[in-house]
Amino acid sequence: MPIGIRPRLNICHMYPDLLNLYGDRGNIMAYRMRCLWREIEVTIHQVNIGDSVDFERMDFIFLGGGSDREQNLMAADLVEKSGALQAAIEDGVPLLAICGGYQLLGKYYKTLAGDVIPGLGLLDLYTEGGETRLIGNVAVEVDLGGVTQRITGFENHSGRTHLGRLDPLGKVLAGHGNNGRDGMEGARYKNVICSYLHGPMLPKNPFITDYLIACAVKRKWSIPLKPLNDSIEMSATNVMLKRLLGN
Amino acid sequence: MRKARLFMALFAAKILVFIIKILGRGKGTALPGRVALKIYPGLISDLSSRIGKGVIVVTGTNGKTTTNNMIARILEAGGCRVLINREGANLITGIATAFAREMDFLNSRAFDYACLEVDEAAFPGVASRVRPRCVVITNFFRDQLDRYGELDRTIALVRNALKEMEGIRLVLNADDPLVAQMGRSTGLQSVFYGVAEHGGVTSQGAAAREAKFCPFCGHELAYRYYQYSQLGAYGCPGCGFSRPDPDVEGTSPRRGGSFTQCRVRFRQGSSVSLEVPVYGMYNLYNALAAYSTALLLDMDPQRAAVFLKGYRPATGRMERFDYRGKQVYLNLVKNPTGFNEGIGALVEMSDGGLDVMIAINDNDADGRDISWLWDVDFEILADCQDRINFVCSGLRAEEMALRLKYAGIQEFRLMVESDFNEAVSRVLNGGAGKACILSTYTALWPVERILSGYANRDQTPAEYLPHVS
Ligand SMILES: [Zn+2]
Repeated sequence: MPIGIRPRLNICHMYPDLLNLYGDRGNIMAYRMRCLWREIEVTIHQVNIGDSVDFERMDFIFLGGGSDREQNLMAADLVEKSGALQAAIEDGVPLLAICGGYQLLGKYYKTLAGDVIPGLGLLDLYTEGGETRLIGNVAVEVDLGGVTQRITGFENHSGRTHLGRLDPLGKVLAGHGNNGRDGMEGARYKNVICSYLHGPMLPKNPFITDYLIACAVKRKWSIPLKPLNDSIEMSATNVMLKRLLGN
Repeated sequence: MRKARLFMALFAAKILVFIIKILGRGKGTALPGRVALKIYPGLISDLSSRIGKGVIVVTGTNGKTTTNNMIARILEAGGCRVLINREGANLITGIATAFAREMDFLNSRAFDYACLEVDEAAFPGVASRVRPRCVVITNFFRDQLDRYGELDRTIALVRNALKEMEGIRLVLNADDPLVAQMGRSTGLQSVFYGVAEHGGVTSQGAAAREAKFCPFCGHELAYRYYQYSQLGAYGCPGCGFSRPDPDVEGTSPRRGGSFTQCRVRFRQGSSVSLEVPVYGMYNLYNALAAYSTALLLDMDPQRAAVFLKGYRPATGRMERFDYRGKQVYLNLVKNPTGFNEGIGALVEMSDGGLDVMIAINDNDADGRDISWLWDVDFEILADCQDRINFVCSGLRAEEMALRLKYAGIQEFRLMVESDFNEAVSRVLNGGAGKACILSTYTALWPVERILSGYANRDQTPAEYLPHVS
């Protein structure tokens, strides 16, 4: 990093026009603010249907969820980009996929009626439709970069996701998680984090945000991340942990 | 047998209303109706058939209460007896309570109209029972997702219910494509209202815009300008669906001290000046909806405008209080669009400094998922934060402070005070010239109770206002 020039990260916000449920844009806001507070500049690239994008140039990719119709539109477009996306993932580009975006990275989604909708097949996981929606506040214990922390969020999904040879993001302490059965929440692969947690996830859980920023920074420069004052974040998380876990 | 059941149902409901009132247990709007419907499921259809001139139903996402109260205000001032479900009791049980409370077995109180605000999801059930003469639809925005699922489904519910009804008239917001489509898709006779292009429109769509695609052919809608959110002048390049020419159109809107004003064009060239004693463009839309309904019911246009001026906002609809000479506004917020409207009002009134309290609860009636706070444009407040002090309160006070922090509000301006009493007293005694309290549904009642203990409700009688020019 030459002295006097501020580092700059490229954020890729996939389909912001289509995937804007449950305040997911808050993830972009949090990533951006936590960079700016550390004097790291950011450029946000909004990628909508039909836009071309160079994933290899990106330092962080965000893929959210939408309603069914919007998700189908987005899936059709993303299929065409999946080769480049796979290369970026294998190359270690950090990516956060929430809810519908998470499901889409997997092999398929099998509906209740038995129809199989193919996914991008980039991660070893699949999803099956469920009778009921899994809705509510969630607490998860997460190990990331050698640190264990409890994170919170809100889930709202009918799909039940099952992981193949993949690590979960964490252990469910309260709520349903991936499928309501195996006590796992989310998935991890290289620098990809997948989760059902809205809330949105990154502003409420700065520990995850900083991990993703650190991954991006590490790929380009050897500068450490400055710690920030997270007292508001911590007290918001603690209110929910106390409600869900009673301590 | 039917009569005996009706009698029993009314009797039980009235006793419950009475007991709840004595115990002072909340607003108690659902329980009496629920019991009455158990005893006699035909209660609502029986009683609504006694309404002389007909039932008016107001539905949509935002502005239901205000629009409904405005319609009732005009009709009452015009000498009609009006039955109304007040204060958001807009599910089937709340409506049953309103009927059971106001009407008796012998039908000794004859009502000319019933004005009912009805929740969108409850609309099919209510409409099939009350058989409305006219249905007003205000707008469709995203609201409490964890309760309703998707907006598309809600709209389809309303549309399908309307298709089953014959001979009713619709009053529709021409500027909202999601509402305006109801005219064509139901084939019902419709009166359209809207606001004409003016200096305040923008060419930029909001990020959380709901209607991007044509409801008929799925093509992306093209806009000439936006009023706010998805309201504006739209057209579909695919099938030609476009903003209908309004039958009642507000032109050159203007904001005064605590009122909003415009000219209204209607019936090919007639025009009248309209003034409502409330803040904001969204309230102008509510006023135009109410005014259009009054015209549809053959009210005199001049008189209707005068009556509307005498409207007073209901609890938590930018309701004004006075605390030792300090103006204090109380406003309900329940979804991103409504919150953005509230923030617009904050910015407008922040000139002389402002103490702001935001109370966020996440009980069932508020929506348990508060992620929607991230779809609200709090970033607008960052530019005028040196004139504002924030107190965050409610069950999710910390989370609200977190949202403001990421909107760029400096931490020293943010106070977290979960206790409502403490929080209210802080904004009242804060140093700024005005105060504004924004609150979600279940926080509204406790906050209102505390506030009215300290401050006087502004009750300038309508008669003291100058007449319409
Ligand atoms: Zn079309």
